[in-house]
Amino acid sequence: MKFYDLHVHSAFSEGKSSLEEIAKTAKLLGFSGICFAEYFESEEKIEELKREIERISKEVGIEIYLGFEARNAKELKLLAKLRREFDVLLARGGSLKLNRAACETPEVDILTHPELDRKDSGFNHVLAKLAHKNNVAIEINFREVLMSSKESRSRILKNMRLNVRLAKKYGAPLICCSGAISHLEMRDPKILASFLTLLGLDLKEAKECLSKVPESILRLSKERRSEKWIMPGVRVVS
Amino acid sequence: MDNAGSKGGLMRLKILPSSLRERRRYIKLKIISDEPIAFSDFKAAVTNVFLDFYGELGFSELSLTFINNSFDPKRQVCILRCNHKSVQKVLAALGFIQRLGDVRILIKILGVSGTLKKLKKFK
Repeated sequence: MKFYDLHVHSAFSEGKSSLEEIAKTAKLLGFSGICFAEYFESEEKIEELKREIERISKEVGIEIYLGFEARNAKELKLLAKLRREFDVLLARGGSLKLNRAACETPEVDILTHPELDRKDSGFNHVLAKLAHKNNVAIEINFREVLMSSKESRSRILKNMRLNVRLAKKYGAPLICCSGAISHLEMRDPKILASFLTLLGLDLKEAKECLSKVPESILRLSKERRSEKWIMPGVRVVS
Repeated sequence: MDNAGSKGGLMRLKILPSSLRERRRYIKLKIISDEPIAFSDFKAAVTNVFLDFYGELGFSELSLTFINNSFDPKRQVCILRCNHKSVQKVLAALGFIQRLGDVRILIKILGVSGTLKKLKKFK
């Protein structure tokens, strides 16, 4: 089974480790591919990152993808327009406005930690239906739990459990990522799958969140980047 | 008295029949760190993290044991034992171990098995 971690930050954005360190650790832990989620600054930076990623991918021998994480609604609109330039579009959840905007945008692949810095879960049945309709995956971010403790950790776990229940009920895809900003914050896929079983998924569903769902996101992204693609379900045949 | 009737040492209980024994699972893991670490430090860190995460009652339900002579200091590989129902719980909580003192560590799960013999194939 191939495992993917589609939300890792490198030193290009808020991360502390270099692309190489992260790629090597991911390979050591048994991931088939990772996606660097960076913050958008300029279009030139995309080209620079692409070249760097291609070099490291060949050097380390692991699939590496480029993603951008939108931090606000304005950035999300801009990145949605540039969607064909990179592999994965993530939306940094936490604010209700952005959570809603992300679930309503079909170009978005992943809504990251919808419950970030909130007392509630930041996700409800309305957003779950929208996420299902637009095929936006809801992320379970391991780093959020890792970096919290005691009361805040228990609140985050409670909110995550609710989000998992809603996503399951309404058929929204679920994905689990490490959200690491350092190579030492990455986790073994077996550990991540086991963590998901604590949130109300069975082991098979948990493994799908780490393999099948990211694979389908990457497959769709590849289709989207081909010249024949027009919009979801519509492409040039001849 | 507990040792009444024994020859020198404490009297040991008769081993439970296999049908009444707890079903065990062995977890082989590798500790990745910049500096070599002591097994006693690792044991203390695991116990602390597990007690924090699951509490005393939850920790007791895991039946977690460290296989002492399994630690390979050169490769930093060791084996934990738990009952068959709590494998996922043990694996999940291992993810919350970040550091031993000042040394930051990463845990790679090499394999899970029902017997120590079968665990040898995971390297």
